[in-house]
Amino acid sequence: MSYKKKEIKQGINIHNITTNKFKTNLYAIFLTTPLNRENVTKNALISAVLRRGSQELQSQDKISKKLEEMYGAVFDCGIEKTGDNHVLKFYLEAISEEFLPEKEELAKKCLEILTGIIFNPLIENNGFKEEYIESEKNNLKQIINSKIDNKRTYSIERCIEEMFKNRPYGLYRYGYIEDLDKITPENLYEYYKKLISECKIDIFVSGTIDEEKAIKLVEENSTIQNLNARKPIFAENKEDELDGKEKIVEEHMQVSQGNLVIGMNVNSKEQEDKYVASIYNAILGGGANSKLFQNVREKESLAYTAVSTYRRQKNAIFIRCGIEIGNFQKALETIKKQLEDIKNGDFTDEDINNSKKLIVESIRGISSEQDTEITYYYGQELSGEFTTLEEYMRKIEKVSKEEVEKLAKEININTIYFLRD
Amino acid sequence: MKIIESSKIKEKEYIEKLDNGMTVIVIPKPNLDKKYIIWGTHFGSIDNRFIMPKTGEEVFIPDGVAHFLEHKMFEQPDGTNSLDTLMALGLDANAYTTNDHTAYLFECTNNFYKGLDELMDYVQHPYFTDENVEKEKGIIGQEIKMYDDEPSWRMYMNAMDCMYKKNPIKIDIAGSIESISKITPDVLYKCYNTFYNPSNMIMVVCGNFKPEQILEEIKKRLVKKEEQGEIKRIYPEKETEINMPYKEVEMEVSTPIFAIGYKDIEGAEDKKEIVRKHIAIEILMNMIIGKSSKAYKELYEAGDLLSTPDLDYEFSDEYAHILISGQSKNPDKIQEKIEEVVDKYKKEGLEEDHFNRIKKKIYGDYVVEYNSVGEIARMFLADKMKGINSFDYIEEYNTVTKDYTEEVLKNVFKKENMVMSVVKCK
Repeated sequence: MSYKKKEIKQGINIHNITTNKFKTNLYAIFLTTPLNRENVTKNALISAVLRRGSQELQSQDKISKKLEEMYGAVFDCGIEKTGDNHVLKFYLEAISEEFLPEKEELAKKCLEILTGIIFNPLIENNGFKEEYIESEKNNLKQIINSKIDNKRTYSIERCIEEMFKNRPYGLYRYGYIEDLDKITPENLYEYYKKLISECKIDIFVSGTIDEEKAIKLVEENSTIQNLNARKPIFAENKEDELDGKEKIVEEHMQVSQGNLVIGMNVNSKEQEDKYVASIYNAILGGGANSKLFQNVREKESLAYTAVSTYRRQKNAIFIRCGIEIGNFQKALETIKKQLEDIKNGDFTDEDINNSKKLIVESIRGISSEQDTEITYYYGQELSGEFTTLEEYMRKIEKVSKEEVEKLAKEININTIYFLRD
Repeated sequence: MKIIESSKIKEKEYIEKLDNGMTVIVIPKPNLDKKYIIWGTHFGSIDNRFIMPKTGEEVFIPDGVAHFLEHKMFEQPDGTNSLDTLMALGLDANAYTTNDHTAYLFECTNNFYKGLDELMDYVQHPYFTDENVEKEKGIIGQEIKMYDDEPSWRMYMNAMDCMYKKNPIKIDIAGSIESISKITPDVLYKCYNTFYNPSNMIMVVCGNFKPEQILEEIKKRLVKKEEQGEIKRIYPEKETEINMPYKEVEMEVSTPIFAIGYKDIEGAEDKKEIVRKHIAIEILMNMIIGKSSKAYKELYEAGDLLSTPDLDYEFSDEYAHILISGQSKNPDKIQEKIEEVVDKYKKEGLEEDHFNRIKKKIYGDYVVEYNSVGEIARMFLADKMKGINSFDYIEEYNTVTKDYTEEVLKNVFKKENMVMSVVKCK
């Protein structure tokens, strides 16, 4: 495996990952722009409208037919929050040419379709096609409303919303229904042009295509040639100053299980502390040996799910448990006891070693999944510094028990969210 | 070891049936860092009535035993838990239970043989006590409640209820709070001793391995178990009719979700025939309501579908059905549309271009499944449990013609076997 990055124009990068581990080539283009209340809904709508059709392939079924002909190449797009950025992600995955039943050149076609969808949309009367805008507004409305359908993800979203209230990261990635009415085919197209000319653009080519070929492929693509150089506007990673007061938010719905989510912030601006926080998180709720799993689940039999996750870009940890509604106090006490124990150094070298193994193993696995590998390099790109997988593992290995204990004292509960009946 | 090669996708499978009756499959992946092992027993939630080969005793078990057993296998006499031990080695370990099998697995890049020691130790040494069985009831109780709140699971279970009258596929894999309260160590041991005999088990390994070498390592770790005869499983008689055409329930969802099913009552004996039929059904489902279909375009443009429905064909010797499921504010309209398209295709036949295009797409779908060690190993295990070799999907692919697919359409997509389960908004 080899990774190479090249700036083809200011603000536009190509990232090539040459690998022989997969039967597919994966092309991905990410547009990065700062998250803010004004644009969040527009970005979500743009991503939905673009996939409806391009100048060349003017409708969804035309795109689908074309892709099916290419042995079921798959186009996908999505919208995500990465730190304080809103990222519009577009993917195209196609079988590597050596596994096709007949010889066919797919790479050039793939990139043309993908760049066509993103950069050459179907435009009528100086706006997006009205029919597409109207139907995607309705769809987006449904997507926003469907937030409540999965109680687990809903609870996490809600906890984040409360914890980062009135801050970019607290925004919902699909936006807000009340913003949809103001959007017209024309004003959305105006905004789109601005977005495309200012955002940060990252183009990934992963698979058997080598560096030289990948760069040539991208540089010879006429759509990419037409893009302007830019000083890209996006949010650099920075910590939010959250107050240390603990707040409880309770919400009622018709559920038979209670969903408890606890948001905690890590009060440290040291870059190196992020590795310590990863270890802390693994000890707390990273796996079967973690304090949450062992105590909340195995000892007290309070939950089936008892986990924590660390969101590196926001330096925040979220604990999540599904519990009997009447056991709220008991579960909360058990969880708080685990937090205190780590603060007081009540964990072993073995806990540290287990956590290191868990994390190192997951880093080693990154290159075994094409999209995970792309996400890793994109994360590095945004962080402004470049850490190789090897360095990453070394830094994890270096973390000491004292460092975890010390950082634990800087980790505070911010929001306790409970979804109940 | 016997070698089966798929020249089209450039993969090889090494397969061996050991003297104790266990099947071992190795799929070498020299380029990958990840290694994956999965060990399955042919015992799932539908196996709730059987005759123990040794004693001849007929046993009925409470719903949810296979899954409960899966949870309890990790417990060790010295108080440790094998899941913890495996994770402490940095391995990604897990287990799951389906309708027809239970599987124990781990994935890793390092420490594979230490993991193999632990995996093969705990699966071969059960330890059930009154106390540890009681404790698990609280944890599984929460797992059951988690599924109760999941609209898609309720929708699926109701679809099964629509299609089958007595077939045990209607039973929730985890059982119910009530049924698991009856589980005792004795029941668990009876099931363990019957179903965890090597002759009822299959192991699949995928990653950078030398097949003969890993086979020896596996053999070394096998505990000698007494041979037993065939397990007689007792299932209700095959049903030729559906139970009810429609079922709905209200839950807190933003938009209704639906599952439209066709119960497939045309069983096939020959395994290659089953594979061909499966391929034909996948082509048909895609032609009827897949991404490039006319029906999908219309429903999408009318706002009745937001994305393509999930298309599934589930089958074993005991059941077979198609499931088309998704989210729509108007499930009735989706059902009508599907009926309409099926009728049209039955009358006018399938369009040649469309058929060939979808066939190409399906080929790509099969190839992509060979991207990850985990997917490969799980696929070979699940297929082998049904007596199928996964490569057959690639090999039989070319034999599936338009005429044959039209035949399958007539036999399987029958109006009288169609059902719909809907979860409505509260």
